[in-house]
Amino acid sequence: MMISAEALGAVVVVATAIATLAPFLLIALFIRDWKRGSLW
Amino acid sequence: MTVILTVCVLYTLLGGLRAVIGTDFVQTVIIVLGVAFIAWLTIDKVGFEAIHFNLMEERPELLNLLFPAAIMFLFNNLFFGVGEIFHSNVWWSRAFAFGRSVGFRAYLLAGLLWLPIPIVAGFVALATPALGINVPVADMVGPLVAAEILGLTGAIVVFIVVFAALASSLDSLLAATSDLVTRDIYRGHIRKRASDHEQFRATKVIVVLLGLVTWAAASYRGELPVIGSLAEVLYFTGAFVASAIWPVVAGLYWRRTNPTGAGLSMVAGTTLGLISYFTIGFYVAALVGAAVSLVVLVLSTWLAPRDFDWRVLAEAEPRSDAPVTRGAQ
Repeated sequence: MMISAEALGAVVVVATAIATLAPFLLIALFIRDWKRGSLW
Repeated sequence: MTVILTVCVLYTLLGGLRAVIGTDFVQTVIIVLGVAFIAWLTIDKVGFEAIHFNLMEERPELLNLLFPAAIMFLFNNLFFGVGEIFHSNVWWSRAFAFGRSVGFRAYLLAGLLWLPIPIVAGFVALATPALGINVPVADMVGPLVAAEILGLTGAIVVFIVVFAALASSLDSLLAATSDLVTRDIYRGHIRKRASDHEQFRATKVIVVLLGLVTWAAASYRGELPVIGSLAEVLYFTGAFVASAIWPVVAGLYWRRTNPTGAGLSMVAGTTLGLISYFTIGFYVAALVGAAVSLVVLVLSTWLAPRDFDWRVLAEAEPRSDAPVTRGAQ
């Protein structure tokens, strides 16, 4: 069962988008927990 | 290597576990952004159509969703990853150091956010036929693609990502291993009544010694009989780490498990995992290790069950003055 170029593109774009957004989400959570004093 | 190691030893010495976790956070952000950056450029400069066309021409099996070796490798890697978490003090020391509600959320979020990374990194590797790159060893795929697409800028991005990844692994292992040696060897056998100050000092000495041992190992230029690249190190150690998953789970949650059976399951899983590594292929070592250890564990528990009293472990509750948290100050 071969994956098509369209399916490959869709999977990769979604994964890359999540990977791009992940660091910003992590930084936002870091700042929130820092302010709450609950980092550890 | 010497520079990375010196930097890691210094901040582990000065900041302890807290510095290690803090720098890990920054390094992870850099790694994820770097990998995503290379992937977007690959999509932009090469495109899915060209990548797919070249793969169909040259390596069609890489696009087969039911390729047996790939399916085995997928589960092999899943077991390897879980085994890493279960067997290594890198994660256990953090679990003990975190607040009760922080650990679960942190590990869950980290696992979920790391999910797309193998897909993104794998896609970058799939671009090699379209770019006409000849890959000498698996470790070189990322740098070669980045250098081909971006030239000097790509090489710098990859250097930063690799530096961050190396530093992240090194500092974690330095902190976790020094904690393990301090608790189990120094306080467990050498100085059972060591004061907090003595344990703290011992941890520092152990970090430096571990740094020196790591430097000596990294400086070795001869060839090892089994291990030729970083990827091969991971495949090879899969048998060891995956065979620890079920014994650790049973040790934590199954009171009928016996210690001899748990120990035997790890030995049998590792042995057969290594045999399969050499006889079948690199993609099954962790898979076989995990499967065999599960079978041996269940059989040994069924044949010789015992009734473990969890209260025996009450003394092992993490103490507020334990070296991990002291080192984290």
